[in-house]
Amino acid sequence: MSKQECVAMLLAGGQGSRLGGLTRKRAKPAVSFCGKYRIIDFTLSNCTNSNINTIGVLIQYKPLLLNSYIGLGSAWDLDNPYGGVHILPPFLGEQERSWYNGTANAVYQNCEFIDFYDPEYVIILSGDHVYRMDYARMLNFHKEKNSEITIATIQVPWEEASRFGILTVDSEARITRFTEKPAQPESDLASMGVYIFNWSTLKQALKEDANDRASENDFGKNIIPHQLKQAKRVYAYKFEGYWRDVGTIESYYHANMESLREGHFLNIFDPRIRIFSNEDILPPHFVGSTAKIENSLVCNGCIVHGDVQNSILAPGVYVGKGVQIKDSILLPYAKVHTGSSLRKTIVGENAEIMRYCIVGAEGRTAAEQEGITVIEDHHIVSQGSMIEEGKNVYRPQTI
Amino acid sequence: MSKAIGIIYANNANDTLQGLALKRPIAAVPFGGRYRILDFALSSMVNSGIRTIGVVAPHHYRPLLDHLGAGKAWFLDRKNGGLFILPGAIHGFTENNHTFCVKDLQSNIEYLQNDFAENVVISSGDQIYNMNFKNALELHNDKHADVTMIYNGIANSGDQTDVFLEIGEGQKVVNIFDQKRIEKNLFTKPHFVNMLIIRRELLLEIIEKYGSIGCIDLIDIFTSNSQVLKIYASPTCSLIGIIRTLKDYFDRSMELLDLEVRGRLWLGGDRIHTKFKDYPPTQYTSDAKVSNSLIASGCSIAGEVANSIIFRGVVVEQGCKIKNSIILPKCYLHANAQTDYAILDKSVQVNGENILKGSLNNPLVVLKRTVI
Repeated sequence: MSKQECVAMLLAGGQGSRLGGLTRKRAKPAVSFCGKYRIIDFTLSNCTNSNINTIGVLIQYKPLLLNSYIGLGSAWDLDNPYGGVHILPPFLGEQERSWYNGTANAVYQNCEFIDFYDPEYVIILSGDHVYRMDYARMLNFHKEKNSEITIATIQVPWEEASRFGILTVDSEARITRFTEKPAQPESDLASMGVYIFNWSTLKQALKEDANDRASENDFGKNIIPHQLKQAKRVYAYKFEGYWRDVGTIESYYHANMESLREGHFLNIFDPRIRIFSNEDILPPHFVGSTAKIENSLVCNGCIVHGDVQNSILAPGVYVGKGVQIKDSILLPYAKVHTGSSLRKTIVGENAEIMRYCIVGAEGRTAAEQEGITVIEDHHIVSQGSMIEEGKNVYRPQTI
Repeated sequence: MSKAIGIIYANNANDTLQGLALKRPIAAVPFGGRYRILDFALSSMVNSGIRTIGVVAPHHYRPLLDHLGAGKAWFLDRKNGGLFILPGAIHGFTENNHTFCVKDLQSNIEYLQNDFAENVVISSGDQIYNMNFKNALELHNDKHADVTMIYNGIANSGDQTDVFLEIGEGQKVVNIFDQKRIEKNLFTKPHFVNMLIIRRELLLEIIEKYGSIGCIDLIDIFTSNSQVLKIYASPTCSLIGIIRTLKDYFDRSMELLDLEVRGRLWLGGDRIHTKFKDYPPTQYTSDAKVSNSLIASGCSIAGEVANSIIFRGVVVEQGCKIKNSIILPKCYLHANAQTDYAILDKSVQVNGENILKGSLNNPLVVLKRTVI
């Protein structure tokens, strides 16, 4: 076994319950994003592009689709004989072990995995953010500052600061205070949920945390504040660039839609850092003679006969004749048949909208979730249905 | 199904494509938006369960190797078997007009000796098809055939070879004709489609016996021995066409806009695999106007595109009018450029206001990396 300088632990076990129908069948990191990607692609590609090739992916909630998507990691060039991607589910040991109970607990239960590679540093990543970042630069910062814990931070607008974990730093970028979702934020530096620890520091911290019965075993809520109290050398690394949390339907929708704007980071003319993905093998998309596509993203394997505006069509989507799609996101293999119209709708994977449906119609009451309608994966909307805006349409549960 | 290995002749190096095949074999010419012509033969074999495939390479094999790599995209990075590059013979002054030249195999005889498979599936690398060889292999085994030749029973201008078969009872091949040598019109007879199955031991024997004869085609050997060998025929209708001329290339490409052709080639259960490029989705601006076209990923479309095929990473700026054209990867069309019946090879740059015009029977070809 070769020693690694830095091992990444990717937290991918969360349920992502605020994404409603999109995460009923799959873990949040496996949710489709921006057409051909899935949310986890960004973190895995960042690792590859930062030369971190030993990654433990901590999974728990509905892992089937996530596991099959990651596979051996070869899509991200992570099928590496000296490291590679390891899927780490909860497991039984000699002493009683249980489900992962909090983010810190998940890492704690896999200390053995990290020890296996005997690293100097451990980087904790979360599988539910969309961003492009060079972790190697953050690691350099960590070494330069002789830091024990480094937290990646990003500047957020003051009015939104109370939604994040907010850090207060001194002139040396050393963190003096950390408050989770403060009502009166002291600063506009938010934690991105990316931490680099010295492995010795992290191991000690995890042990203490595991023995603390009152702890919720969470990095943000427990580990970091506790380490600050012990006056450990905790520094803030300032990241500048694109970073989005896609934890809610609204933020997921907006992050997707942003990619339609010019100068977005997914700019195809910047091939220096590629985002890799494990895409299905599909032919080029076909645009029929009745089609009209405006300001949209279209992926391989799509067949478009209708009118598509300000929308994102993921791989394998079918849009029939006379269909009107506006401000919507169609996830892989969604089908919209003749004459239907969609507005501000997220159509789940393999979902089907039969003929002459109206989805996202203006309702009589004020719409919830900014009027974004969500159709669950595999749901079939029967012919001629009308669905009001802001609804979450779930598939009837079957055994 | 018994174990079979594959051989693809990808060394047809005569540039009959007016420059598209100048620096690459026809097998490595880009086709259909994101593929190269070779992908179709290769994927068909892989989808038929063949995991040991030798590709006969021509002398200018760089584009071929660039594309194939270790064969990962076709699941051919195997410990057991996998992808083999078989350097083809040097043909010198004699033009290589043969499809299945024995001389090409002679120097690669170890590829055939080292495997234990009973049969070898051989295909030329300049055909567009998506076929499962399972049925043909079954017939080959049931009949204890020496050779099984794949044929198309329907007369179709797209996939004619010069070789016609007379098929007797039980799919036995009674006679093999070469169209050039006979006067009678044989268009109604089933024609051979440059795919065949042969017993490995027999192929080794042929190489041994015929190897010393300068350049001889496997089919000629079958023709002269059709009474000695047990030759059978298996039908297929999955062939879209052979690419021999620029007209073939243009017509077969444009046929992809037809749903029926795309259905046979792409929309079935067996996929055509190709090298991954990890391009982002294609972006349409609000000025884009696209109809009846195939467009690959990683493009940026701001102009008009009609009845065309656009490969990966192409930029079509505002005011461009692309009609009846094939635009190969990474071309850049600046504002207000127009093309009609044009084929732009890779990385061509067309500066603004230029008009490139060919005709249906004589499409205009612009060579690789040209700046216009």
